[in-house]
Amino acid sequence: MRYLKFWIKIAFLFLSRSVRSTVVLSLMVIIAVSVLIFLSALAIGVNDAMIRNSIGLYSGHISVDFLPHSLNPENLKINGVAGVLKRNPIPGILSNEDHVATITMIAVNPVAESKHTAIWKKAIKGRYIQNGENSIFLSSMLAKQLGVQTGGMLQFHPAISEKSVTLTVSGIYKTEIDYLDRGIAFCPFEILPVKTTTWRAAIFLKNGIDPGQIIRRYRQLLPKSLGFKSWKETMPDLLQLINLNYVSMSIVMVLVFGVVSVGIACAFVIFIFKNFREYGIMKAMGVTPREIACLIVIEVIMMNLFASIVGILGGFLAVLIASRTGIDLTYFTSHNRYFVVSGIIYPRLTFYSLYLPPILAFFFSMVSATWPAGLVARKKAADILRSI
Amino acid sequence: MIQLEGISKEYRSGRGRVLALSDVSFNIEKTSTVSVFGKSGSGKTTLLYCIGGLERPENGTVTCFGVDIHSLSEKALCLFQRKNVGFVFQHGNLFTYLTVFENIAFSLELNGFERNAIVNRVGELLEGIGLSDAGAAFPYELSGGEVQRVSVARAIAHSPQVLLADEPTASLDSETGRDLVKLMFNMGHEQGCTMIITTHDPDIIKLADVRLPIQDGKIEPEDK
Repeated sequence: MRYLKFWIKIAFLFLSRSVRSTVVLSLMVIIAVSVLIFLSALAIGVNDAMIRNSIGLYSGHISVDFLPHSLNPENLKINGVAGVLKRNPIPGILSNEDHVATITMIAVNPVAESKHTAIWKKAIKGRYIQNGENSIFLSSMLAKQLGVQTGGMLQFHPAISEKSVTLTVSGIYKTEIDYLDRGIAFCPFEILPVKTTTWRAAIFLKNGIDPGQIIRRYRQLLPKSLGFKSWKETMPDLLQLINLNYVSMSIVMVLVFGVVSVGIACAFVIFIFKNFREYGIMKAMGVTPREIACLIVIEVIMMNLFASIVGILGGFLAVLIASRTGIDLTYFTSHNRYFVVSGIIYPRLTFYSLYLPPILAFFFSMVSATWPAGLVARKKAADILRSI
Repeated sequence: MIQLEGISKEYRSGRGRVLALSDVSFNIEKTSTVSVFGKSGSGKTTLLYCIGGLERPENGTVTCFGVDIHSLSEKALCLFQRKNVGFVFQHGNLFTYLTVFENIAFSLELNGFERNAIVNRVGELLEGIGLSDAGAAFPYELSGGEVQRVSVARAIAHSPQVLLADEPTASLDSETGRDLVKLMFNMGHEQGCTMIITTHDPDIIKLADVRLPIQDGKIEPEDK
């Protein structure tokens, strides 16, 4: 322990008093750590944006069908839940004179829907439906099929009722998402001529809440027969894309540090050769090869610690600045279904984005220090002293 | 006593095999001062390195105070050097990133001295070499002679049994060189060190108790 303290002191003095070489050597690690923290935070931000866009447009974090009317949205509002939207899907036929389309009419509470979803923002003509009016909000594809414009009239014939209802087209939307653009339309609850036996819920969670955790709570509190599904089950394509993003980002980090570590190794060899004479003197004074290797390893650890702290701060600051305003990538995402609501990315720091880069930097620096450390430790003192 | 028996050392270089030492044998009494002198390439440094354990001879044995040093394991040899050997090099070779105080304290810390003992011992040595006010200075702030004096203090700080100096006056003028060797011998005697110095300088050769001329890796008969 006493000797370790001594070598730590020597390593510290060596690094702190060889400021120029220490800074130059650290600079590579600092830049690599900062850039990768920012890039990985950006990757997390992209994932967040895709999730936010996908669930925020319509479906919610958790969905459940066939809920009995004995349950109401309040029963599903447990800790961690931001909102529960009640929806009544009613199959039927929508007609405009000779034009007919088979659809599922979703009866909703327009106020609550506007609060938690963004589908109303996708209106390309007119506006979203409002409570108390006989209106319908339908996709542009459906409007075209039925030959109707905003303000036009449509007849809805529910499959389970003789009664039909006349609706005015309040707005036409376009999401570019198949299941929302084909065979679906929205109207307020109160204008529906039929009562359904079950309802559907879209559950929206507070930030950072894991859907799996909420589903487990529901399974404890509610009948087990209810089929709660998280977005991960209903949108496996999105989950796959997010995992792919993580994998590719991790590969990028490993590759970047692989390249950086070669640079670090070369710089370190120069750094150590610059001080080769001093390692030779130490050996002549009776310092063992193991102690020399230990000294070099301590120097690498200290240098990395310093570089990682500065790198983390740099990356953290960059993320902080970028996350305030967000990075608008709408131009590149406007035709992408995963960015249907907004193309603004908010970089976010997580354990993955904040700690993986410095951990990798440390690992690769240790690997890259092995070569010069071994070189010095193996070399005989007499050979070093003769070569200088 | 330091005993060398049949020491031979060969190098391989671009010029083929070079015999640096050939069947060298002699004894050095404890606390005596020895000067090894000869032309460049005669084998002075190799001899010094063999005695100090930095170089392993192909043949022969080096016994330092009863220990056959080249029969020791690498670690044991390092620990032997650490405790019993002090080196003074041609150009001082101080650690550039350590102050004068820290340079002298290095060998003491390496040998496990307590903090108070280190402070006292370094203070005493700095006074001995006439650099009491230079403890906080870095090597680049010192003159060549001062660097060599610090180098002597560092080599002697942990009271080694043998002090080896490889042409310590080579980079100094004659007067400064002589003063340095006198200082080294005085301090070494106070510590009870056996001192071996390699040199070209006839005045310094004369300062030693024992003179060993070396030529083509062979020691000539001792000339007292």
